[in-house]
Amino acid sequence: MTNVKSAMTRFRRSPAFVGFILFLVALVLNALLQGPASFFTVKTINTLFAKNVPFILVTIAQSILLLAGTMDVSCGVQVALVNVVIIMCGQELGLPFFVCCLLGIAAAVIASLVCWVCCSVFRLPALLASYALTYAIKGVNVLIMSVPQGKVAKVYYKAYDSQILGFIPVSALALVLVLLIWLYVKRTRFGSHIYAVGANPRNAFAAGISPVKVQLKAFLLKGVIVGIAGICITLMIASGNPLQAEDYGLRSLSACIIGGLGFGGWGSVSCAVFGSGFYVFIQNSVYYFFSLLVKMIPGFSVTSYWQNFVSDIIIFLGLLMTIVTAKGQREALKQGIVSQFRLNGKPAAAGKEGDGDEN
Amino acid sequence: MKTNVATGNMSAGQRVKSFIQKSPARMAFIIACILYIATIAISPSSLNASAIGSIIMLTLLLSFASAGQTIVLIGGGMDFGVGAVMSSAAILTTTIMNSQDGHFLQLLVTALAMGALVGMINGLCTVKIGLPPLIVTMAIANVVTRMQYVLTQGSPMGYASPTFIKSVTARLFGLQFLPSIVLYAIIIIPLVYFLLNRSRFGKQVYLVGNNPVAARLNGVNVAKIQVLTYVFSGMFAAFAGMLGAAYMNAARCQIFDEYAYNSLIAVIIGGTLFSGGVGSYTGSIAGSLVLVVLSNLLTAVGFTQPQRNVAMGLIMVALLILYNREKNVRQ
Amino acid sequence: MFELRAIEKRFDAVVALNGAHLQVAPGEIRALLGSNGSGKSTMIKVLAGLVNPNGGQVLVDGNPVEIHNGQDSRKLGIATAFQDLSLIPTMSVRDNILLGNEPCNKFGVVDKKACDALIDSLLKRFHIDCDPNAYVQTLMPSVQTMLEVAKAVSLKPRLLLLDEVTASLHYDEIEVLFSVMRELKEEGVAMLYVTHRMNEVFQVCDTTTIMRSGETVTEGKMSDFTLDDIVYYMTGQRPDKASKAAEHVADENGEVLLNVKDLAVYPKVRDLNLRACKGEIVGIGGLQGQGQSEFIRALLGAEPIQDGVIEYDGKQVHFKSPTQAVNAGMGFISGERNREAMFPVRTVEENILAGKVAKGKLFAYMTPKSNHAFANSAVEKYNIKIGALDHPANSLSGGNQQKLVVARWIAMQPKLLLLDDPTKGVDIHSRQEIHRILRQCADEGMTIIISSSESEELLDVSDRIYVFYEGCVSAVLEGANKTPELLVAAMMGMTGSEVTAEGGKAE
Repeated sequence: MTNVKSAMTRFRRSPAFVGFILFLVALVLNALLQGPASFFTVKTINTLFAKNVPFILVTIAQSILLLAGTMDVSCGVQVALVNVVIIMCGQELGLPFFVCCLLGIAAAVIASLVCWVCCSVFRLPALLASYALTYAIKGVNVLIMSVPQGKVAKVYYKAYDSQILGFIPVSALALVLVLLIWLYVKRTRFGSHIYAVGANPRNAFAAGISPVKVQLKAFLLKGVIVGIAGICITLMIASGNPLQAEDYGLRSLSACIIGGLGFGGWGSVSCAVFGSGFYVFIQNSVYYFFSLLVKMIPGFSVTSYWQNFVSDIIIFLGLLMTIVTAKGQREALKQGIVSQFRLNGKPAAAGKEGDGDEN
Repeated sequence: MKTNVATGNMSAGQRVKSFIQKSPARMAFIIACILYIATIAISPSSLNASAIGSIIMLTLLLSFASAGQTIVLIGGGMDFGVGAVMSSAAILTTTIMNSQDGHFLQLLVTALAMGALVGMINGLCTVKIGLPPLIVTMAIANVVTRMQYVLTQGSPMGYASPTFIKSVTARLFGLQFLPSIVLYAIIIIPLVYFLLNRSRFGKQVYLVGNNPVAARLNGVNVAKIQVLTYVFSGMFAAFAGMLGAAYMNAARCQIFDEYAYNSLIAVIIGGTLFSGGVGSYTGSIAGSLVLVVLSNLLTAVGFTQPQRNVAMGLIMVALLILYNREKNVRQ
Repeated sequence: MFELRAIEKRFDAVVALNGAHLQVAPGEIRALLGSNGSGKSTMIKVLAGLVNPNGGQVLVDGNPVEIHNGQDSRKLGIATAFQDLSLIPTMSVRDNILLGNEPCNKFGVVDKKACDALIDSLLKRFHIDCDPNAYVQTLMPSVQTMLEVAKAVSLKPRLLLLDEVTASLHYDEIEVLFSVMRELKEEGVAMLYVTHRMNEVFQVCDTTTIMRSGETVTEGKMSDFTLDDIVYYMTGQRPDKASKAAEHVADENGEVLLNVKDLAVYPKVRDLNLRACKGEIVGIGGLQGQGQSEFIRALLGAEPIQDGVIEYDGKQVHFKSPTQAVNAGMGFISGERNREAMFPVRTVEENILAGKVAKGKLFAYMTPKSNHAFANSAVEKYNIKIGALDHPANSLSGGNQQKLVVARWIAMQPKLLLLDDPTKGVDIHSRQEIHRILRQCADEGMTIIISSSESEELLDVSDRIYVFYEGCVSAVLEGANKTPELLVAAMMGMTGSEVTAEGGKAE
């Protein structure tokens, strides 16, 4: 009992808590607006996963980099890179699909390495350097594949869209796989080194950890996850498009922050899951909200511009919510120190006065 | 930062680096000249008065847009809303003017107010939330962009007024290389120069950008100064958007969005440090010139759009390596 | 046997180490002494792998070795407790102790359970009372310091480097530390101990190496040195007793400019009372981190006040930001030059003007001519050595940088000037000059509150000394009470009665 209780308290104080609440609110909102009966069906949930797993994976990849004190806003175009590599390798070289997938992951890893060289080895501001790389990679994408084209064999994309045992979406398995990888990585030395390097590279260096090497591993891991995301998106659209998913890069960054991740060593990957989940459910909710309005008010019609507008505003408000999180955490911290101060300070002072009297 | 103690035994690379770091504005002008000469060498036909006129035109337009970006960057922030504000101002221009003269003042007030408002929101959110400025300004720019679509149903109406268009694009004294946008430059450039170099505000911006903690303890109202830099950025972007609308004649949603990135590159080429506290508007003008000439060169070489993207991205990384590296943990 | 030979290090133009040498044998506690900026910490950092020396050799057991990073240093059996700590504040106590040294099971997973007993015994050994799961940032500064030492000791080093770790420790914690050090000595661990507190040196150290401006000036057995000798080697001058003659007596009838009642700035300051009159120099003494800087920042409005009243210039005030305080005629000079006072890449002129720039209309035109004149007169008046007004401020030497900061505010003629350890890392000459300027300003009617970690400075310059201990005033010294002995006793938290009690026990 007490264990459950203390675990709850710990969770309430953890960085992911506000992200979790936002996630929950968005989920409930989505379910209500869509109608619980149609929301909680295998089909809806399957579509939900199939469509959004790539974005969630990219956000997880981004969160690992943020924990290690760096970032990569070119994640989005890297997903597209994986997509075009897979399609073109299959189409032009006739390689089997699995080989193409491996080559796709390799492409993402190489792109990540380039970013690592810029951010960690050359120590450029990560934001700007990776933004510059966005342009370069986007160019490469179009050079590989000039216009959307190609296709994936039906077996594969059908499989991606199906369910195991009739209710577990295959796409969700990719997510579970990545989360399992992270759960393992987090428990290795590298896992705790990521936090140390992100929070304070100099102190980590003093403790015998090489920040450059830790960031290298983080970038490699991120490359693999982005590669998996690219495979998922390829299976999802079942063709190639060099100019998709570009906004994943920056959106994943704000999703991480909404989820409660701080810059450098503060937070956890669950922040990324909650943050990206919030993004997904809010966009869905806004869609269903407007279709509900259309149904309820005769003659009411809006363009999709309104939907984008409203969901962007809500996401902006979600960012504003981080003030509340940051403030709450600062307060909690301060309270902790003040209470220690009172414990340590006051009785000692009282004791001293007593001694003085005796003398 | 480096003193010239060891000037004697510097390698050629280091010497180039120290020259660039010392006078980035001059360096940018030199780069621009070299690039221009290369352009002419590749396609001699590009050496003509009207081509020079259009280079001046685009350079000034970009330099107006980067004026605010310069101030914000020196103050230690970053404004990615420049593009969205410019596009919105352009839409306002065509909508309010609707190809008729006599609405200029009304437009000026509306556009500047819009720019100031967006800048104010940018500033307040960045300074008060303490999130990285890129994320906040980007989120706000998104909302502003969506608003363009909502309010215009995706297709803005109207055109800039003929007089206004003339005041921007007409050639002065019949000289093909002298577009009349220069007249606006006569107002804007001294204004920015005053703001940054001759007013108390400018001095405070430099101090805040270099060391916000020290500035605060010195009695500078850091939050207010930073918010003001964003407000100025919004206003300069709005003004640039108006002129841009006149240059393009008509407007569409997101028409000037790429200026967000371009203005940032221009400012950084001009030697303004990403970490704040160092930079000049002269540098940003030079940086704008480099970008415009570079773009001409890439066209002359016959680069396609994707090739240009790759080139721009790599050039940006190279520039960052030249003078925006952070310190090593090991000394 | 660890040895450093002819180590050289330049940071840009500044020479930090100039052929310094040092050696320490197993089972030896060696004190590394020197005034601020003499290169002690840089030596420590060379051994820790944080600083890459420009020249010289490091030898272990007679063999030359290269220390490129923290890992090399650890492999050689060197562990370091840093002055500014190397803990990761957002990680737990356990993770911090294990950092870089995590035990792994065969799957590469960190086995946290395996070392619980070890951590428990470590925390017990250092009398640290905290939850191993607590985040380090929620611990008191003194506990963090103990943890830093515990972490270093847990590596079972052959050479333990302790860089000014006692600066923020309480005296009971220092006792614990010393007993651990003596145990380690028995085990044959070599130790390098850097400190500013001379009594500690005589208490635990066997030998000493004394440094001055990047060079090793002398070394030898502790018993061969007296306190005067050490001061002589550190400063190059015999302590001058004669200068004490110029006693300044506080003007009892002076008009009160500042009156602080029951001030509380959690978690550092509580129930604090202080008074300062016009034309008076009030000193604030105490060990590092006893709430001095928080107090001064609270006066300036840079730290929020939880409780208490500040009366300034006849009115009760509650400044919300330094801007308001500066507009009300306060000025602030920080000794944390790089972090809190200098604008390193801006020009000398802009740095001098910073005070003037902060006050006044935001969009007023500032003529270059009057700016030059203002800066030039300040440079001349305060004898600041500069290359040119438009050189960056980081081209100046430390002492001149600090004079520049002082000049910045004196030129503004504030009513109340607050100084927080203003002569930290400043050479003796510049220091005396700054003291002279301050005294001159006080004579002209300026009120000055100066906090300093150095006793001599306080005794020298101030009319009245408030000694802080754990966020309270433990003593007010004025007139005949202004003696080094009383000051040191009060700094250690011993009130008058306890000093006699301690003395009795010792005899």
